[in-house]
Amino acid sequence: MTVSRILGKTVLYLAAFSAVFPMVWTAINAFKNRVDIVTPTPLFIFTPTLDNFAYVLGRESVAAGLVNSLLAAGGSVLIGALLGLPAAYAIARYPNRWSADIQFFVLSLRFLPPVAVAIPLMVIWLDLGFYDTLTALIATYTLLTLATVIWLGVPAFARVPKEVEEAARVDGYGPYAVFLLIALPIAMRSLIGAVAFAFVLVWNEFLIALMLTTSDAKTLPIVASELTQLGRDVPWGILNASVVLLSIPPLLLIGILSGLLNNAFRRKSN
Amino acid sequence: MANIVCSHIDKAYGAITVIKDFNLEIADHEFVVFLGPSGCGKSTLLRMIAGLEEISGGEVSIAGRTVNDLEPRDRGVAMVFQNYALYPHMTIYDNIAFGLKRMKVEKAEIDNRVRAVAGTLGLEPYLARKPTELSGGQQQRVAIARAMIKTPRVFLFDEPLSNLDAKLRNHMRVEIARLHQSLKTTTIYVTHDQLEAMTLADRIVLMKGGAIEQAGTPTEIYQRPRTLFVAGFIGTPNMNFLDVTARNDGEAWLLEGDGLRFRVGRERFDIREGQALTLGVRPSSLSISGNAEGRENILSGLIDLVEFHGDNALVSFRVGGVEIGALVPASNRPKTGMTVAFSVPAESLHAFDRATGLSVLRDRP
Repeated sequence: MTVSRILGKTVLYLAAFSAVFPMVWTAINAFKNRVDIVTPTPLFIFTPTLDNFAYVLGRESVAAGLVNSLLAAGGSVLIGALLGLPAAYAIARYPNRWSADIQFFVLSLRFLPPVAVAIPLMVIWLDLGFYDTLTALIATYTLLTLATVIWLGVPAFARVPKEVEEAARVDGYGPYAVFLLIALPIAMRSLIGAVAFAFVLVWNEFLIALMLTTSDAKTLPIVASELTQLGRDVPWGILNASVVLLSIPPLLLIGILSGLLNNAFRRKSN
Repeated sequence: MANIVCSHIDKAYGAITVIKDFNLEIADHEFVVFLGPSGCGKSTLLRMIAGLEEISGGEVSIAGRTVNDLEPRDRGVAMVFQNYALYPHMTIYDNIAFGLKRMKVEKAEIDNRVRAVAGTLGLEPYLARKPTELSGGQQQRVAIARAMIKTPRVFLFDEPLSNLDAKLRNHMRVEIARLHQSLKTTTIYVTHDQLEAMTLADRIVLMKGGAIEQAGTPTEIYQRPRTLFVAGFIGTPNMNFLDVTARNDGEAWLLEGDGLRFRVGRERFDIREGQALTLGVRPSSLSISGNAEGRENILSGLIDLVEFHGDNALVSFRVGGVEIGALVPASNRPKTGMTVAFSVPAESLHAFDRATGLSVLRDRP
């Protein structure tokens, strides 16, 4: 093995370690008692406890936050996909002189800092009487998911060979059938990535949720952040446990989606 | 089955006109090949007939019905694409059956027809597979099956063999020819490959720059090319071209150029004294002859390249700065560096007006 290879591998392992270790440490700490966490010598061997999880799961606010998070993220992703996928397809397949502008506008929704829109949005929802409701949260999040789905969906649809769609037209199918039966299944692999990405984006969203909710519609990230304000001491174990719990739904979603994907593309024969 | 009439077809993309005033009638059962270099508009024309491309002007009718504003499905056409365009997420069976499903054909009937078509094309073993698990030739056969199963009035082929390797291409060409013999469906076939055109076509429509350069049977196009372009496009190896000037010599025309002189009977060409012409000689018309001294209808030069083709050899030499190729039997081929004289029979000569590029061959009596 040459020196450069060894060097390269070392750098690679260091990078991997720096990426993975914090997550592992968080997961380990979630099972520790407070004394084991705050000790100056890091402990790898300790008596594990489920107290942190029990505490987090036992709180009503967490359960309510979980439901809110699932509804807000799920609802906005669903609406975003239902509206965004056809929009992305239309932009990819039926370009007109506005297509480039539409795409730029959609992207601009993403690079606008949330803090710039959070306050106006708050005022709008207050005026409309929807402040601190899931409706307001889902409507606002749909802007994010819609933008993400369109932005990532356009190239996915553009990669579908045009001739395949034309073949379907010659086979007698209209534009809607071509979209549903041909373009959508062929582009599915990339589209699922886009949808999953949109989900993770709103699942982890903090700032807008903080501005638009006070009690009823609080999402999990907000609830989790409030756990730090329990007393004088930072409750590290509880925080770590809530981080672990918070990461599970997106992981599950991506797992299920990629499983679906593998099934869909596995050959039927054999 | 149906005839197709194109009258005054125009196609423009914005300000760019790609097809101008295209007129053609295709008879029922006819196999017509649109041939031409890339960018000549042949595929665009096919796509307009299929209904995949809007017709900017003029009228296309299939079986006596104007189809300009009809969707592809209402035109009774089926199309085979260059890159097969199979549905990658469906099995071969579903690929073939997809069109019938749209036509609300009964399930049992679909099954019968899919199996019959798959049988004809030797696809039974692959019906449960996905397109990516098939070779290029098999995929193309699926594409043909998908077109056949709808029993269309018109078959449209858009360079169907150009993605296949040479051996497979020959094989599929024969299959397509057989298919047309048995189905007799009116067919338009687009290609840039003259061999495909010559072997498959009842009639070749040779196109250039969005217009018909010549339309005729393969024999007509090969033996009586109407323009210099057609003469250069059809025939392998390419026709040799030499610049000459016509001179009247009583009973015959003398065509004289740089170091060459041809004597041609007056009945062959319709030319006038002093006309500037381009003489066309097919490489296969040249044959080795003794010596060149003072004789007419001779091309001779120093051989600079001999390409062995198997039965034949292509011999290259220069005459007055122009590269000339001669196709001679391989057994009798000269060696590089020899000076050889080739005789050219006057009745094999072609000539084109140098200004217009049009053939000056007289119509046959």
